[in-house]
Amino acid sequence: MFTRTSRISKPQLSTALSSAIADWARSDGLTWIYMIKALAACFLALGIAMKLDLAQPRTAMITVFIVMQPQSGMVLAKSFYRICGTLVGLAATLVLVSLFSQEPEMFVASTGIWIGICTAGAAYSRNFKSYGFVLAGYTAALIGIPASQHPDGAVISAFTRVAEVVVGILSSGLVSALVFPRHTGDQLRIALQGRFTTFAGYAANALSSRVDRQQMEATNARFIAEIVGFESMRSAAIFETADSRMRGRRLARLNSEFMTLSTRFYALSQSMNRLRDAGTQEAHCAIERLQPYFLEIAPLLAKAAEQVKSPKDAMQLAIQLEVYEAQLPKRINETRTNLAASPRAGTLEYDTGGELLHRFVSDLYAYTATYASLISDTHQREQWVGSYEPKTNLLAAAVAGFRTTLLTILLGAFWIATAWPNGLTLTVAVATAAALISTSPNPMRTALQMTGGALLSSVTGTVVALGVYPHIDGFALMCAALTPFLLMGVWMTTRPTLAGCGVGYLIFFSFLAGPDNTMHYDPASFLDSVLALVLSMLVTTVAFAVLLPPSTPWLRNRLLSDLRRQVVTASRADMGRVRSHFESGARDLAFQFNALAPAEPELKRDALRWLLLVLEVGNAVIDLRKEVAALPTDAGQARSMPWRLPLATALATTLDALTALFDVPRADRFEGALSATVDAIVAVQQIVASFTPTGPEPHGLRGILCQLHFIRTALLDPQSPLEPFLNRRADALKGVSHAT
Amino acid sequence: MPRDVAVLDVYVPVLVLLFVGGAALTWMLDRVIARTGLYRVVWHPSLFRVGLLVCVCGVMGLAVYR
Repeated sequence: MFTRTSRISKPQLSTALSSAIADWARSDGLTWIYMIKALAACFLALGIAMKLDLAQPRTAMITVFIVMQPQSGMVLAKSFYRICGTLVGLAATLVLVSLFSQEPEMFVASTGIWIGICTAGAAYSRNFKSYGFVLAGYTAALIGIPASQHPDGAVISAFTRVAEVVVGILSSGLVSALVFPRHTGDQLRIALQGRFTTFAGYAANALSSRVDRQQMEATNARFIAEIVGFESMRSAAIFETADSRMRGRRLARLNSEFMTLSTRFYALSQSMNRLRDAGTQEAHCAIERLQPYFLEIAPLLAKAAEQVKSPKDAMQLAIQLEVYEAQLPKRINETRTNLAASPRAGTLEYDTGGELLHRFVSDLYAYTATYASLISDTHQREQWVGSYEPKTNLLAAAVAGFRTTLLTILLGAFWIATAWPNGLTLTVAVATAAALISTSPNPMRTALQMTGGALLSSVTGTVVALGVYPHIDGFALMCAALTPFLLMGVWMTTRPTLAGCGVGYLIFFSFLAGPDNTMHYDPASFLDSVLALVLSMLVTTVAFAVLLPPSTPWLRNRLLSDLRRQVVTASRADMGRVRSHFESGARDLAFQFNALAPAEPELKRDALRWLLLVLEVGNAVIDLRKEVAALPTDAGQARSMPWRLPLATALATTLDALTALFDVPRADRFEGALSATVDAIVAVQQIVASFTPTGPEPHGLRGILCQLHFIRTALLDPQSPLEPFLNRRADALKGVSHAT
Repeated sequence: MPRDVAVLDVYVPVLVLLFVGGAALTWMLDRVIARTGLYRVVWHPSLFRVGLLVCVCGVMGLAVYR
């Protein structure tokens, strides 16, 4: 061993050492900095609250641990909504106390209902707004229930509590923004670059050779998680630096364009796969003509995947793509003219492929151009009207709210009936925990983890409060004594698998062992409140497991049917923002579904297949609507266009049949949608044919035909979730042919 | 200048009101500075912003009470 080390020369050792240190600074070092920052914020808040002689410094401490997050932007964003929520909660509390302070039953019931409403709002808005809702409810519990005990001092005690909360919010914001700030903006930049590389590499690969279904699904699933994560980072980053704020809309646009792009590429590759599977002469012919284009784009993308590392590099690619995109329609059309000369040419298949290809290239150009525009502070691409629309199920949110109301009222009733002094702690803790847990992606798991954290904190809290506090004196010594216990909790929050546990531990540890200005040594009442806290967590966990847990099949199916119903949005919503709303809503729902079924790959896969089908069909529907809207509409021309009416009727019937199918998938509706699509194709083909002798048809008609054809092939895809209907249909057809 | 003023019959310290106004003013100044691109040459923008807030609020407090 010794001989081996001696062989390493000095410079080698120092480079190895410095690279090891750099590596540590990038990974564990960041965690350590965060842990120290969290502790610094906590002690700052405690110090200020004690200096100001606020009644319960521990409220400030709890607040710090609820607010603190590794990135600066996240903390500021959370703080902003948190202060708003706290003030709303304060107002509600004062009203409730002034109305019902003489009637404990009424007070508990009305507080429960208020907390339930806030929890439902938090579960429904599922963004930074949700923090505001949680806080509005939880402040009401935190200040209202104790204040109702002493109505004469309610206003002062409520304001003091708000002051403590605000001290906690501000000190965590200050520390995380000033001490080694870590910006969400940097993460966004890394995420953008990684996404570009991944997508370009995947697309280059898929265009030059066939990618199997499983890999395609895995890649798309990854894109969904990235898109949802990107939006939450973006909404945090705009609170952070002026840089991100000035690029806010472009970043949102980038995410939306990426959604469109990935859907488009999926549609293109699916339609090519279907052509390959079809094996007919027409399909073969179309593939042969389209293949050269793919082979042109693939190397371009492969090169981009390697070289594009920043918006500056994207500029180059954007210029290339712009030129390519401008020439593409003409070239596709030329190939088509050659093709039309040969018999059994499959022009419809070719047109559809060409149309999808062109749309893919123009979307790729748009995405690259927006990415490149991030170089400058101001840019015209900042003007954009779409928006990311998170979608949540109203019923699931209502269930969450109802559960919290029921819990609060139940425990409040227990408190009133038994007159247990710590019933108050019990009620407050349950309301807080239930409101916090309801907003997490997988509430059941979070509840369990928080219970674990609470149990752990009941042990360490007892050690600190009864074993350590009597022996120490002064603020500095107190901080030193608390450090190891808090550090453990903060460390847990940085591990994804232990995050819920860490949060529960820190909150309940602060609840129990948070210092007061004048300490009281009272083991009996301390142990009583330990009992109350552990009991509150147990009751909450049981309630989440028993009272309609969000992962029940029934609620999950509601999410899935919401996802399918996005097609209805696509065909009915207002044209201006329909695409961004449709794309983001569908992905958001799929993301929530995935979070609820972490250990069930079969279910996840089913949801993903639905999502992909919904995206394909919904996007085609939107394109169809756009094509129709772009048809010439002059009053003068209208008379000379007798085909407008039959076209409109055929398309309206198709859209209605499609929305009906996705609303409630049934065999007869599938049949209806399919036949309506085929009828519409025939109708449009007839219209096109009527033009051929007299001259070229109006521009949009061919596009409409392509979209209809694409929808038909998507419905007939044997790998889609509609496949059972397809099989039944095939059996029925076979039966008919046997009978005749 | 009195120490407290009555806002809707509640005594509020003048300093609180001043600091709320100071925060709003700093926010506006921050927007302006961001537009001019000054933050690109500032080493620690967040620290700069906090410093600005302290300066603005301090000046307002001194202007009233000195």
